[in-house]
Amino acid sequence: MITAAKLSIIGRRLLQTLPVIVLSTFIVFGLLKLVPGDVAVTLAGDNASEQRITEIREIYGLDRPFFVQYGTWLWKAAHGDLSNSLVSSEAVLTSIKRCLPHTLLIVSLALLLALIIGIPLGIAAASRPSSWVDSFVMAVASLGVAVPNFWLGMLLVAFFALEMNWLPATGAVAFAQDPWGALRHALLPAVALASGGIAEVARQLRSSLVEILSSQQVRTLHAKGLPPSSILWRHGLKNVSVNLLTVVSLLANRMLAATVVVEAVFAIPGMGSLIVNAAMNRDFPVVQGVVFAMVLIVVGLNLLTDILYSVLDPRIS
Amino acid sequence: MKKFDHMTGALHRREMLALMGGAAAAGTFGLPAFAQDQKKGGILKIAAPANPSSLDPATGGAGSDHSILWTMYDTLVEWDYETLKPNPGLAKWSYPDPKTLVFDIQSGIKFHDGTPLDAEAVKFNIDRGRQDQRSNVKADLTSIEAVEVTGPLQVTLKLKNADSALPAIFSDRAGMMVSPTNIKALGNDTDRKPVGAGPWKFVRWADNEIIVVTRNENYWRPGRPYLDGIEFNIIPELATALRSVVAGQNDMSFALPARLKPVIDRAKNLTTVMSPTLYCIQIYFNHARAPLDNVKVRQAINFALDREAFVKATMGGLGEPAKMTLPSTHWAFDKSIASLYPHDPDKARKLLAEAGFKDGLELTIGGYMDQDSVRRGEVIQDQLGKAGIRLKFSRGTIAEISSQFFATEKKFDLLVSAWTGRPDPSMTYALGFDKGAYYNAGRLAAPELSTLIQESRESEDLTKRAAVFAKIQRFTMENALSAPLAFQFEIDALSEKVKGFKPNLLGKPKFENISLG
Repeated sequence: MITAAKLSIIGRRLLQTLPVIVLSTFIVFGLLKLVPGDVAVTLAGDNASEQRITEIREIYGLDRPFFVQYGTWLWKAAHGDLSNSLVSSEAVLTSIKRCLPHTLLIVSLALLLALIIGIPLGIAAASRPSSWVDSFVMAVASLGVAVPNFWLGMLLVAFFALEMNWLPATGAVAFAQDPWGALRHALLPAVALASGGIAEVARQLRSSLVEILSSQQVRTLHAKGLPPSSILWRHGLKNVSVNLLTVVSLLANRMLAATVVVEAVFAIPGMGSLIVNAAMNRDFPVVQGVVFAMVLIVVGLNLLTDILYSVLDPRIS
Repeated sequence: MKKFDHMTGALHRREMLALMGGAAAAGTFGLPAFAQDQKKGGILKIAAPANPSSLDPATGGAGSDHSILWTMYDTLVEWDYETLKPNPGLAKWSYPDPKTLVFDIQSGIKFHDGTPLDAEAVKFNIDRGRQDQRSNVKADLTSIEAVEVTGPLQVTLKLKNADSALPAIFSDRAGMMVSPTNIKALGNDTDRKPVGAGPWKFVRWADNEIIVVTRNENYWRPGRPYLDGIEFNIIPELATALRSVVAGQNDMSFALPARLKPVIDRAKNLTTVMSPTLYCIQIYFNHARAPLDNVKVRQAINFALDREAFVKATMGGLGEPAKMTLPSTHWAFDKSIASLYPHDPDKARKLLAEAGFKDGLELTIGGYMDQDSVRRGEVIQDQLGKAGIRLKFSRGTIAEISSQFFATEKKFDLLVSAWTGRPDPSMTYALGFDKGAYYNAGRLAAPELSTLIQESRESEDLTKRAAVFAKIQRFTMENALSAPLAFQFEIDALSEKVKGFKPNLLGKPKFENISLG
């Protein structure tokens, strides 16, 4: 349970995230400046002259020293102002507020799918190790890990959207406006995103369950005369819950990253599309803003995972 | 599947052009005259390939903005869809003398916010284009000395030098009229809250997602527009954009690459529109230094290239082999130059030998990294290789490689890139071939050529101008100052209910003629 000691740990962890956030935005900012190409070229328009590009650099302060530019951004960010896009001048916070729900929806849906499909598969495989069920599940899981999600996405669109016309092929609808429509739009991308996750959940669950079920403790339970189902559900699953939590938390982070590709395939105006477009234009306030938000989410997820660990397993503090 | 092929042979095309010219002259203000039985109403959903850089024409920069801007802004001057000949738009123009340009504005036009579009508003816009710090059209308007209001609906431009490219320039960004009231009230925020006098009014813009415009009930052209509104769904991944049209979520997708043509053909109920554009894929030369300072080497490259094969291999045949920097349908195209460089590897080898490269030579060349560019590079490498010209490729991003070639570093002898075209041909030659021009990597130009480029802006008479352009084209091609390869086709996919769409030579679609059936 959450005690005062744990609260102070949480507080300390929150403080530790601060340098992580600053460092990650600094690295991204540095990378953007190192990569050839310049937002001034985009801003100056097609076939612009050198002179105009120099002028643009001055107008937008892009000619100032690296640390001054980064410092200005950081100072504003610390005061809650993530600046505006250099290219389209939309406030970065506005963009993030609009894009983030789309991304969160497909990632949560994908996680949910990974769990509700992956867990039964893992249990089925683990309860009869080396049976045909086990071999089948593991074969499916290997396939799931191997299939690239963008390719699966295109196949899903080709069949469910273009051929059968059951689901929309592209785009997204805001959940707040039309929950049912939003889910319909999010389903195919979530399936594409979940395929690797399903496989991973099934594999990890199987291996940890097999380990637990062949342990001394379980042998004792058998000896006590407990029915196998009760062993599996009450003792087995409880013991693997920490492992499962680790898998889920890693998956969530990885899925957030994978949205960059999946959103492009499905034309979802989420965080992935936002950062890809901004990075192409070297529109650094937007890139910085997205990285900032993503780091917050990932750090938050990790923190939540740590707290849940200690809830699930009192030995972890 | 139905197909409207707008390139069914030169003769047919010329006949069609003649017909179109007559129709345009008969109609008021150059509106295409077919479209009698088009219905009003409906929302057109378009998959747009890029988020706009800005919705303020003066401050934006991307070539992909125009299609969106034209829904909200009308221009002082417009052009003929097939030839890009300038036509009157919001105003009629005249040159009382070569250094004076007068605009007579159509009466009774109002911006979406009710501000009258009069001489004051036009002066405000032109001055803003010339002077505003953020204006990206400054360079286009340098020949203007002063803008004077000479009547409630008349603006007179005093020019520093004769400049007959201005009408075409005012058909582009510089001619898109923005409400002065809006600029004064919002300043930089006009970028995201545009007010123009176009057929549709701005509703909303969410970055990378959607732009919505709705009918301007007080539009000055009677009976227009047909559509109640347009929704631009921004989908940069073009294969996805096309899928959205196949699935019926969008009605139209434009600027598609040739490699997606088979996908459009496979889809039921889609119409393909194909049409030539000014977008010219070409090899740029740095002809200020050896070995390309030798005209025979440059000519050898031009003879060694097989442009027909290039179009087949890199564009699936969907392009026009380029004989010069203007496509054959352009008003200033000159036929007599088209036969200068037939594919002739033997001739190329002979020229190289005359230039002292009996055993061929090696040249460095810059190129880009995307799939299409790489393929182009391979075909060029193969074709030139057959004439004994060995290419050493360096690849990178557009920004990186093009600045290494054009800016101060002067890397590579050659660059495979493209010229996106300009509303007036004189701009193409001034920016790409004149002395000191950025896109002339060697920066040198014969005085003769500079004089001709200046001369091309002196007369307002298009026939006279075309004669000067013919001389320029002959000069650039005879001296082989670059090697034009092919003009890209605009390829669009339309659902069956989209009626009346017409592509244009600029390759940036306008939607004013569309209705939904």
